[in-house]
Amino acid sequence: MGSNGTMIRKKDLTIWQKTYIPEIVKGLRLTISQMFKPKFTYNYPEERFKPAASFRGRPVLAEENGVERCVACGLCSRVCPALAIEVQASETELEKERYPIKFEINMVRCIFCGFCEEVCPEEAIIMSNEYLLVFNNQEEAVFGKDKLLTPVEKLHDRLEFLREHR
Amino acid sequence: MIETRSLPTDYVFKPGEIKTSSGKTLRTDEMIINMGPQHPSTHGVLRLEVVLDGEIVVDVIPHIGYLHRCFEKHCEHMTNYQQVIPYADRMDYLASMNNDLGYALAVERLLKIEVPPRVEYIRVIMSELQRIASHLIAIGTYGIDIGAFTPFLWCFRDRERILDLFEMTCGARLLYNYIWIGGLSHDLPPKFVEMAKDFCAYFKPNIKELNDVLTFNQIFVKRTANVGVLPKDVAINYGCSGPMLRASGANWDLRRDDPYSVYDKFEWQPEIGKGEMGTVGDCWDRHIVRIREMEQSVKIIEQALASIPEGNVQAAIPKRIRPEPGEIYIRTESPRGELGFYVVSDGTGSPYRIKARAPSFVNLSVLPEISRGSMIADLVAIAASTDIVLGEVDR
Ligand code: SF4
Ligand code: SF4
Repeated sequence: MGSNGTMIRKKDLTIWQKTYIPEIVKGLRLTISQMFKPKFTYNYPEERFKPAASFRGRPVLAEENGVERCVACGLCSRVCPALAIEVQASETELEKERYPIKFEINMVRCIFCGFCEEVCPEEAIIMSNEYLLVFNNQEEAVFGKDKLLTPVEKLHDRLEFLREHR
Repeated sequence: MIETRSLPTDYVFKPGEIKTSSGKTLRTDEMIINMGPQHPSTHGVLRLEVVLDGEIVVDVIPHIGYLHRCFEKHCEHMTNYQQVIPYADRMDYLASMNNDLGYALAVERLLKIEVPPRVEYIRVIMSELQRIASHLIAIGTYGIDIGAFTPFLWCFRDRERILDLFEMTCGARLLYNYIWIGGLSHDLPPKFVEMAKDFCAYFKPNIKELNDVLTFNQIFVKRTANVGVLPKDVAINYGCSGPMLRASGANWDLRRDDPYSVYDKFEWQPEIGKGEMGTVGDCWDRHIVRIREMEQSVKIIEQALASIPEGNVQAAIPKRIRPEPGEIYIRTESPRGELGFYVVSDGTGSPYRIKARAPSFVNLSVLPEISRGSMIADLVAIAASTDIVLGEVDR
């Protein structure tokens, strides 16, 4: 069909056009030109995507000098739209006075919205850059403190970013 | 059991018996088949119950609800208005920014707050980028339904650049939670304006390439021109909106006719179908309207980037969102059409009722009307050209 939408019948073609060689050359030129363009795919899983500091991965608890920063105020659990967080507070000898004896995030419920990070007064819950989450069953998906605690050095980039852009 | 239903008036089907040349007697009857919910061309979990006379479609009954997540009921149980935004994201998951914008505008209007101009500009840039990303998927998957694989990958390549921009800004690639009531979650990163300009420059020649490979391809035109014609009056009667309506020749775009945000500050025009390859309102028209809308979106983005004012994007975010008792309906132009949010407040901190008018849902209702009498192979082309997102149809 011509580019104006008219129908072209085979009997109207010239012999040169009937050989289809010009069309094949035209098509192959496009194909070959694509071969030399830069690739835009990753060779996953050998090559992994490295998220920037702005990336919202799974939420983790910041751990400073061996203890969590969290003071178990419960704000994150209140603001979570998916009701994924469960916090139980207890008292401690440390300066912060309160700490979470139980802190669980149900990763099946979590929708990675980032509200918990936004609302936390202590910068204790932070969206990390981890995005590989695989579970075999529902129990495994409930992350307790053992899986959530992350040394604060590892979250350095994200904390920088938050201070700059909030 | 399938209940009996009335057939279109001009259709005559006579069940009976026919004799084949070899002398056998065959019974002729209607056939009812299910297309979906796992059929790839239904773009999600849509089930089409198709009544067939041989290869001719007698009737189509869409069955929906496989992806129903109680969006509206869920909103009533939120502890505040802000928490609805991540759920509004998930309605039309290919155009999250536009959903957020619609909802945020509605609550802002209820609260009677003004947002700073910088916020408005960023919102327009984001929703136009999102419109391009959404149309790229519509066009790419339309190609793949017709049988063209390459344009699909090209569309995803270009969409990826937009998602990179979004990720850089707000940290997510699909469900952003970026447009908040009264403001935005983050300001633009320093390099954003430059990168978005680069994207516009990179994208414009790609639209031409896409046209060469897909839009004016003879096979594609033969499959889509004069197929699934939706006349203008039918489109209006069914309440279609967006590219569906404009392809039928109706010059109606909410960004121009009921301007919200700062759309009235930019030079652009709505694209309407002209029936260049066949009849006005056929599948090809719907396709070309989407392509041309992307060009218009690039135009809007370029103008907005050039004139984006300075300011604080979080200054107007209210500490406590507690609107006066009242109700509001705000409609915005999402990539699929008129996206409306009806919000009722009873003066407490959480919404009393939220109703979303989803454009996909309304556009889907016209599918039986335009596919009666077509071939079953064309049904795929027609269903895909309506560009529905099942997340939004079912909510
Ligand atoms: S993580 Fe932050 S918001 Fe959540 S309970 Fe601990 S201190 Fe409070
Ligand atoms: S990211 Fe959102 S859904 Fe996930 S735990 Fe935090 S507040 Fe809840």
